Formats: sequence, C-alpha cells, structure tokens
Amino acid sequence: MIKFDKFTLNNGLKIIVHKDPSTTLVAFNILYNVGARDEDPEKTGFAHLFEHLMFEGSVHIPSYDKPLQMAGGENNAFTTNDITNYYITLPKENIESAFWLESDRMLGLDFSKEKLEIQKNVVIEEFNQRYLNQPYGDSSLLLRPLAYKVHPYQWATIGKNIKHIQNATLTDVKDFFFHHYAPNNAILSISGNVKTDEIKTLSEKWFGSIDKKEIAIRNIPKEPKQKTARTQTVKRDVPFDAIYKAFHMSSKLEKEYYTTDLISDLLANGKSSRLYQNLVKDKKMFSDINAYITGDIDEGLFIITGKLMKSIKMEDAEKAINSELDKIIEGKIEDYEIEKVKNKFESLFEFGQLSALNKAMDLAYNELLGDANKINLEVENYGSVTKKEIQDVATKLFNTNNSSTLYYLSKKSK
Amino acid sequence: MNLNRSQHPEYKNIEDINIPSPKKIFLDNGIETHVVNAGTQDIVKIDITFNAGSWHQEKALIATTVNEMLTEGTINLTSQQISEKLDFFGAFINAQPTKDFGNLSLYTLKKHLSETIKILEDIIKNPVFAENELQTFLSKRKQKFQIELEKVTNIARQEFNEQLFGKNHPYGIKTKIEDYDKVNKSDIVQFHDLYYNSENCKIILSGKIDNSVIELVNNHFGNNDWGNKNKIASINESNIGQSVMESFIEKKNVTQSAIRLGKIIINKNHPDFHKLNVVNTILGGYFGSRLMKTIREERGYTYGIGSALVSLKREGFFVILSEVGADVSQNAITDILDEIRKLREKKVDIDELNLVKNYMLGDLLRSFDGPFEISSSYKSIIELGIESDFYHKALQSIKTITPDEIILIANKYLQEDTLIRTIAGKYN
Repeated sequence: MIKFDKFTLNNGLKIIVHKDPSTTLVAFNILYNVGARDEDPEKTGFAHLFEHLMFEGSVHIPSYDKPLQMAGGENNAFTTNDITNYYITLPKENIESAFWLESDRMLGLDFSKEKLEIQKNVVIEEFNQRYLNQPYGDSSLLLRPLAYKVHPYQWATIGKNIKHIQNATLTDVKDFFFHHYAPNNAILSISGNVKTDEIKTLSEKWFGSIDKKEIAIRNIPKEPKQKTARTQTVKRDVPFDAIYKAFHMSSKLEKEYYTTDLISDLLANGKSSRLYQNLVKDKKMFSDINAYITGDIDEGLFIITGKLMKSIKMEDAEKAINSELDKIIEGKIEDYEIEKVKNKFESLFEFGQLSALNKAMDLAYNELLGDANKINLEVENYGSVTKKEIQDVATKLFNTNNSSTLYYLSKKSK
Repeated sequence: MNLNRSQHPEYKNIEDINIPSPKKIFLDNGIETHVVNAGTQDIVKIDITFNAGSWHQEKALIATTVNEMLTEGTINLTSQQISEKLDFFGAFINAQPTKDFGNLSLYTLKKHLSETIKILEDIIKNPVFAENELQTFLSKRKQKFQIELEKVTNIARQEFNEQLFGKNHPYGIKTKIEDYDKVNKSDIVQFHDLYYNSENCKIILSGKIDNSVIELVNNHFGNNDWGNKNKIASINESNIGQSVMESFIEKKNVTQSAIRLGKIIINKNHPDFHKLNVVNTILGGYFGSRLMKTIREERGYTYGIGSALVSLKREGFFVILSEVGADVSQNAITDILDEIRKLREKKVDIDELNLVKNYMLGDLLRSFDGPFEISSSYKSIIELGIESDFYHKALQSIKTITPDEIILIANKYLQEDTLIRTIAGKYN
C-alpha cells in the first residue's frame, strides 16, 4: 500500500506527496498531460522535440542542469504518445532547488532560434541512432501507420517524418508551449522523507503564482473498427526475417486492459511462457519472440514480434504464432498458469516499490488516469481476472480482421 | 510575496555521506559472504560471483555458455521445470557473464526464498548441459550475435578491445561467427567442473536479510559437498600485444558512425584512481560534461557522448564513445581531442569544479540509495578484491581535489597522442 496526500493549488496544479523515510534522497516528478497524440499530423515529433527544449534554460534561469548538479541532483525526462514526464532525484535538504527550477520552466522558456537549431540536430541524431542505424530499427515506424489510419498513435514520438523536425519554427514551438505547458495541465508528485506541510508551503511559494491557461479540450479522432486484415512486406538489409503483428486492444481505462495484459504475460512473460517454450525451445522456429501491450491510454495495441530462425519459412512461422493464439481462444489454459502470471505481477509490483522515483512516477500517472490511488488497486485488479474473461478477450482480440502484420524480410533470404 | 526567481534558493553542499558497510561473514565452508540488510520491502537478492569469466577459457564462448546455460536443466529439473518454478514464485535468476566473472543473481520475495534458493543451489551444483539444450542455445545465440554485429557500436567495441589488448589477449580477442559451431558439451562440462565450486566464489546478500536468511544460505551453499574436486586450472597469463593506434571498419549505408577513443589505464586498485575519476567526470562522465556540451549541445553531432574508466580484474582502460552523424566522424574526433588538450593545459574553473564535485557527491548518495544499489556498488569492488574503504577514499578525493591536481593527473594519464582510435561506419 502506497500512502499519499493529495492537494490542488488554485491554479489547478495537482500535487501528490508520498512519505518514504527509507531514503535520503527525494524524487520530484512532474507529468505534463501532453504527448505525441496531441500533435498536428503535419507537425509530428513536437512533444518530444519540446522535451529537449525544456532543458535549454527558462525565463529567469539560463541553465537548467548546472544549478541542479550544484545541488547534487540528477534529472531526465521521457515523452510517450500520451504524456511528457520530467523527473529529478536530489538530496532531500536541497528539495527547494527542484521547486525553483521546475516552476521557472513551467512559467516560460528562454526560447531562441540557435537553441532550437541545435536541439533539432540532436533529435535528428537520436532518430538516426534509435531508428535508422539499427537492424529492424524502423519496424515500429512501419507498424503504427499500418494499424492506425485515423488515431494519432499512427506516429511514434520521434515523429512520422524527420522533415517535420527539420521544418520546426520558433513560432511552432512557442505555440506548443503555450497550449500545453500550464499548472492546470500538470501533476507534481514527490516521494521521499518529506512532510506534506513542507511541500504545501514550497508549492504555494514557487508554483502558486503561475497563471492557469486555457487548455483546449482534447478532440482526438477514435480509430474506427478495423474490418479486414492488413499486411505489409518490406525487404531490408538485415540478417534474418522478422514478423510483427499488431491487434487493436482496449483503452487503459477499461477492465479488459488487465485481462489483455495478462494474456501477453501468458504468451511471453518469462522463460516458462507459451511462445518461448513452444516456438523457441520446442519447435525452434524463432531466435527471439515477444508479446506485449503498448500500454497507451486510448485504445492501444497488442504486439507480437519474432525473429525467425534461418531455415524457417515465414508462412510456417506465422501459422505457429496463430495456433498459439487459437489455444488461448479455445481456453486451453491451466488455472495454475493464470495463477503464475498473477504471482509474477505481484512480485514485480513489490520490486517496483523499492524505488522512491518509481513510486512518484506511478502516483502521477495514475492520478492522470483519474485517481492516484488506482496504483493500490492494481494487484487486486490483475488478481480478479478470470479464465472466462481471458478467453472472451482473446476471441475478440485475435480476430484476423483485427490484425496488422508486417513481414520484415532479409534481402539475403530467398 | 516578492519572489526572486533569478536567485538559486539556499542549498547545502553535501558534507557527509553515510557510506553503508556490508557485514562480512563466512559460511561454514569458508565462502566469503557480504550482507547488506536494507530496504523497506520483504525482498531478497543473492549474488554469487565465480572467477569464471572468459579470461579463464581456452576456447571461445565457453565461459559465457556455461554461465548462461546453468538454468537449462539439472539432474533433478528440466529446463522447463526450472523456468516454470521460478515464474510461479515470481522470482528471477539472471546470469551475467563478464570477462572476469560468471555471475548469478536470484531476485525473490522473501516468503518464497526457501523454495527459490533450492533452484539456485541445484543449477549451480548439478547442471547437465544436455546436448539438445546446448544446440538450441547456440543456434539462437549465433543468430543474435549476427544481428548484434549489424550495429556499428558493437563493431567498434570489438575492434577497440582488439586494438587495446591485442588479437590473442583474453580481453582483446574477438568473437567470430564460426566460434558458435565449435562449442562442445565436453568443454562446457569441464569448465563448469573446474570453476563453479565453493572455493572459487563470493556471495553478496541484499534486501531484508535476517538470521533466517543467512541460515538458509548457509544450509544450501555452506557445505563441503561442492568444493574443488580438481586442482584449479592455471590462470591464463597473457601479455598485452602491441596497440594498434588507428582503425577504421567501413560499413555501407549507415547514417551514423560509432567512434571510440581510449587507452589502457590504471584500474580501481591504483591510488590515483579516484582523482582520475574526477577528471573523467569533468570530461565525459555526466550529462553536463564538456564532451556533451561541445559535441552534442554546441555542435549537434550526436545524441549522446560519454567517457568511462573501466576496471577489469587484471587491467583497466579508459574509453570515450559516441555515435555521430556519418559525415562528421573526423570533426567529432578533432573536437574530442581538443577537449582533452584543454583539460591538460587550462586550469578548471572553480565553479565548474564545484559543480562536478557536488554532482559526484549526489551520485555517491544515489549509489547507496536502496539495498540493490548498495550491493551493486560493493559488488564491483568486492569482486576485484579491493579493500572496503574504497568509497571513503572516493569521498575524500572528490572533496579535496584541486585544479592543479587535475592538470597534473590529466597530463600524467591523458596525453592525446596516447589514445587509440576506432571508427566503424564512414571515415569522414
């Protein structure tokens, strides 16, 4: 049980405090309710580019990193399709430095053309390093637009076209800040050996005077139900063939979400899982196979990826995957197996609580989903999933008409 | 309220760090065991580290294969039964082979320790390395290796190590694709017999460690039934070959080249290490480092660049590594060398030095924040056999080092013309 206090400032900033007396550090996490799904289809990659600019100095503080490092702190950030999340760990005595820095960049950034140009280059190199210069690196860039035709999840956080980053102007960037970075669009969570009163005082002092902004109501088009199976084949300079399959699943807010997550665990969590035991160990068809959910807030994807052993035909590999999915649909699942994946979830949850930063992130994210306390119901929510639910969800999920398949072929194979 | 947002609110320099000291005990059979009792959750981690890294092997891939195949079946349990049991208890056993060591870590909820420790014991003492499991393992690994070799960073790493230590030195030797076809069961069994025994390992326990946990560990690993039956094999003695100063491996159609610069250098055993570590941090050891500022933030050549001091058991080396735009490799190298020159010639500004000191002290705090952080910080020195005041000395060096000492150390260890260079990708 993660205990916490929660309060909201007049400007709408929500604050969550979790006391963890076991650490001398404090984790300071601020989540902005903006991600790649909020981008203009002609200006993708902005949420992430913007994350980079957040480290380039703010209205009163020319350097973000320097003073934080002076205070013994460390920080980083990440952008997903749903959120942009910034975090700091620093010695507890210096917590006010974190308030000072984060409130100033919420107030405004020190934008300049030069800084924008540099960060555009850095992001382009990130794009190169992560997606273009890696074997199979562009697979996720291909699979998303195959699965989504309407919803902005069709592009990755890096953007759908590097030109969008290259063409970004200072006005675009300022607009993005103005529309999304505001106290009423953020959640601050703090965990460490702190008192709620002390956090209240500091929050009022540093964030209290920042004006709330009008945040446009999200109007994201819903992905229409997929009617027929989709496929795409590419040939690339990679040593072995690979297959990527995506199925549309529920949103994070539905009960089905937990069931779907457990299905991915049955299939691929750990070496005893079905896909590993049957297709890697027994049939020796794959060198590597995985199944996971994207974990998005809106309707996300259930993804299966596998790299084929050299002599295996794509057709046979795909059949073998499908027959594993059929077994779940047919309910060929032992109660013991379901208990196993639930145990594993519980265990991982326990390990996750060792870290104050982890807890701060989880609390902020669950608050975004509606209530920070959801985190304390997770084990129960996963625990209550039944075999019947697994079968029902699998039947809907693994319908061929709900699938998008990317055949990623090696130029070397015939 | 009049708030001065331009002024950094008062903050404290970190003066004292409470450096935890693991308790050292010995199991009944003499195994050196270190105990870190910390943390809030009822969790236990057991690390066992054997002197069984690739240094000790006479043939490629033997050490890693033995380490990673321990979970693939014992005289009592099949590979599948092992993974079923571990998954059912929500436990993990990770194998981590390095150049010097074969490592196993068990992560488990304390309430299941009495069951999960049996599995750990069984896989260490009684593995069978069944032929079919071995073949599956190797063919899978061979494919993964081929994929890894498509990445410029891996090409550069292998080449760099060979340049540093030489083609035949155990730290320098490259793995080749054919090596996967030459591994035999008998090599594997023999290596396990020689190196995985109670006289050749150390144990670190972390998490909620009370007497009941220690007693369990002693019951399963403290007996005399797994001593060294053979005499330990003679340790490879190898001479470092002549360094190759510059190497370029072309890879067509890349968007980035991987670059490495570095040299053989002192390791954690040496009294200068802590000071050199400060110098390294200034240069490339943290996000605000000079290399990050120049190569990433000013030039925009890369997504990231860093430098590190790597301590192996018998040698140490220094490395700068990055992946840079394919057409700017040479420019990046010129700028990197220039940063090193500045470090040797120009006194570091006191503000910058204070910043690095504070950052490093904060980092030291972070490395002791939680049971697993403490145990992994200590593991790296315990396995090298370094005395336990290592972190106290680190703390002292960080606090007291002066700009003059930094120039001295930089000149002693980091002359630009002593650095070897590797580029994988495009030369330009």
